[in-house]
Amino acid sequence: MEIKALATAMIGYGLPKDSLERGIEKNPDFIGSDMGSTDSGPYFLGSGDIKDTTLLKKDLELVITAGLKKGIPVLMGSAGTAGTDVQLQKVIDIIKEIGREKSLHFKLAAIHSEIDKNYLKEKLKEGKITPLVEEKVGSYNPSLSSSDIDDTEHIVAQLGPEPFIKALKEGAQVVVAGRSCDTSIFAALPMMEGFDRGLNMHMAKVIECASLCARPSSRDAIMGYLREDSVLFESQNPDLKCTAESIAEHSLYERENPYYQVEPGGTLDMTESSYEQYNERIAKVAGSKWIPSPTYMVKLEGARKGGYRSLTMAGVRDPIMISQIDNIVEIVLNTVKSILDDYVYGKDYSIRFRIYGKNGVMNKLEIKKEITSHEIFILVDVVGKTPQISKSACTIAKQKLLHCHYKGILATAGNLAYPFSPDTIHTGITYNFNIYHLLELKDPYEVFPIEIINV
Amino acid sequence: MKLKEIAKIIRSKNAGPFYCTFDIIFKDYSDLDMVLKQNLITPESISKIYNLPTSKIKIFEYKPAFAIKITIPRPVPSGDIEDTDIYGAQQHAPLLDISVQK
Repeated sequence: MEIKALATAMIGYGLPKDSLERGIEKNPDFIGSDMGSTDSGPYFLGSGDIKDTTLLKKDLELVITAGLKKGIPVLMGSAGTAGTDVQLQKVIDIIKEIGREKSLHFKLAAIHSEIDKNYLKEKLKEGKITPLVEEKVGSYNPSLSSSDIDDTEHIVAQLGPEPFIKALKEGAQVVVAGRSCDTSIFAALPMMEGFDRGLNMHMAKVIECASLCARPSSRDAIMGYLREDSVLFESQNPDLKCTAESIAEHSLYERENPYYQVEPGGTLDMTESSYEQYNERIAKVAGSKWIPSPTYMVKLEGARKGGYRSLTMAGVRDPIMISQIDNIVEIVLNTVKSILDDYVYGKDYSIRFRIYGKNGVMNKLEIKKEITSHEIFILVDVVGKTPQISKSACTIAKQKLLHCHYKGILATAGNLAYPFSPDTIHTGITYNFNIYHLLELKDPYEVFPIEIINV
Repeated sequence: MKLKEIAKIIRSKNAGPFYCTFDIIFKDYSDLDMVLKQNLITPESISKIYNLPTSKIKIFEYKPAFAIKITIPRPVPSGDIEDTDIYGAQQHAPLLDISVQK
């Protein structure tokens, strides 16, 4: 008995076509695609925006037509990056559009994962919510209150494999889910077929990043061959190799702990996993175990509005100016303050100077204290309570920075090299993660309603 | 000699929005073992580099990939107003220059 799981790279960035087609020719049992992550920060969860609907449509068309042609299920999770209802709906609409344009007829299941705030407040009262991070850090506070829930723009829960299985049992040919554990997308069908959960989860954890686990790594499709006692990994790009080492290395990638991975309903235990070379291009894993947990917990993610952002950014080549940069920053900050204090705006803004060439990347953790570069780049990041405060603070900062007089100045016509116009940019609302908690469920389906749509 | 001259991979990345994880991967067991025996990657040494109490630093030896993993809490969550590295992908540089005796 064997299951062939064909995994693509993340949908929405332009999928490599050749490797997907090569995988399809090998008659996989299903195609799985991840569509999202929290990696790119809280913006997409807070706003419900989609990065690029044109690329998304192109990728969706590729995987859906491939799956339907072969008559195999297509499973996709974390719709539109964060898996909110608004993003899921946008993805459903695009899928319907593809169906119309290509005259495709199929059963689509949409699994929702956005959590109703009133339901969550009830769960909070019942003590079913626990923080994943126990200390206050930045604008995150572990002690969640009802009003914190109300202040959140969108709250999603990461669904396990079970809702996918339910959708498949209802006859869905294409399943698109809201926020999903990356593994759920790939572990669902083998779990439905009764495969060992440990190896299944290990396979899912590796293939969710497509050929990132191969050497050289890439976004090409990968095939996982799940057997009763082992799992094989084969990149669908013939130039890439999956090696015992590269697959073992992948257990480290983006994870707190290389031996254990907590999932809804249990933990993947890789302490006794073995990694070996099966043939030149294929690696084999065995020995991974699944430890079921007594309660069924899912991860909650929520993002709240911060303020409104305005930016100005420019380069500096003058060595005298570079040597005075700390003093200049102080003068500019004081100028913004003294001008804005006179207005009704008050103090509802904050400014950060990111000095690239000094400590723009590591900030307070930078260990090199001296600037050794002949040029630096200054990014002035302003966040205000209203768009107007942010705009005004940024405009004042820009003008003062451009013409700030400093000790030893020779270049009195301007301090900054702007690479474009306009010189200030207003990027709109900022968000921050304010919910990162666990929610205990009665069953794996409790907060994940399934909608069946005939396309 | 420096760590960057021995390791084949030294990288950092978010492990979720609240943690940053570092992977130091060697080409074989003997290089890993040499670094481990010198006790260079310890909660104490990492606490100095990343300005954190030792209790918040997790270090794993991961022999299947000849690797050392370090996981620390991020100074602020990914995308918070004070964040400077949303993906956490450029926080590894201080590890490159750790001195190793060959």
